[in-house]
Amino acid sequence: MTTTPELDPVIHSQARLRVMATLTALPDGDRLTFPRLQQLLGMTAGNLSTHLTRLEEAGYVEVVKGHQGRVPSTEVGVTRAGRRAFEDYSAALQALLNPTVVKETS
Amino acid sequence: MTTDPTSGTAPARPSGATGPAGASAPEPDDTVLDPAAGAALIRDQRARVVAATSMDGRVLFGAWGVAWLVGYVTMWAAWPEDPRIELSYGAATGVFVGLLLAAGTVTAIHVARRSAGVRGTSAAQGAMYGWAWFLTFAGVAALGGWLGGREVPSDVMAVTMTVVSTLVVGALYMAGGAMLNEPSQFVLGAWICVANVAGLLAGAPALLLVMGVAGGGGMLLAALVEHVRRHRGAA
Repeated sequence: MTTTPELDPVIHSQARLRVMATLTALPDGDRLTFPRLQQLLGMTAGNLSTHLTRLEEAGYVEVVKGHQGRVPSTEVGVTRAGRRAFEDYSAALQALLNPTVVKETS
Repeated sequence: MTTDPTSGTAPARPSGATGPAGASAPEPDDTVLDPAAGAALIRDQRARVVAATSMDGRVLFGAWGVAWLVGYVTMWAAWPEDPRIELSYGAATGVFVGLLLAAGTVTAIHVARRSAGVRGTSAAQGAMYGWAWFLTFAGVAALGGWLGGREVPSDVMAVTMTVVSTLVVGALYMAGGAMLNEPSQFVLGAWICVANVAGLLAGAPALLLVMGVAGGGGMLLAALVEHVRRHRGAA
């Protein structure tokens, strides 16, 4: 088999890959507030919003808008589908890096 | 959006394939990576997130280990019936309380910095665990106040307060190890409980020495173990 693994185009960009790597590094069920996510990524708010919208449309992240007291807060977490997509993406990267390892695909 | 929601999981369609109508100008940072750079980026970013959001056992065990080691040994050395240093027992107690407050401050700042902006499951877990510490030590302090208002011999006072407070610490470390699946923290808690019983059998001033050396020393050892583990993980 010489099929090249497909890299999910939603994740396959530097900015969105970093967003996904950040959110999946947290334990299951954890979210980050928008400012903390921004700080961990070193991205501008506008840029981060753009990429989050794209990831949210794909169903990979969940953006929860709520309140901490009176202050509005936005929390971002990875969805189950997003975690799976990130694992598939990482596996595809590894397959591209080590083409000798034949991976069974369903 | 009117797009088919299932299309997001189909990797076969490049985003530009539908023509320029749907494709906006490339966003900054939207560079496509080669596999090696992508794998390195994942590794680096995950390491950065873990370092920034997880608690550092070296800081926490280090602060409490120093407080216990110096505090308990000072109280043992200032024991009224057998003093080894020129310091009143009351002043030694004050030194210990000051060290405990300092360790508490270090812990509060560290936990607040690392957990800032983290919400959800681990935030709820951390809050419950924090309340467990706060409420049990409020109880220990209340017991100390109650005993202090009575004519209790100083050895009974020292043994009671030391045994109760260190058993609480040992129990909460064991529970924390179970909650976070960290066997080293569980072992430290178990060790403190065992040292406690051994110190109790040894009697009044010796118990203070045992808790300082074995308890505080055990915490510093746990900090060292974490340090070695982190360096192995990074290598």
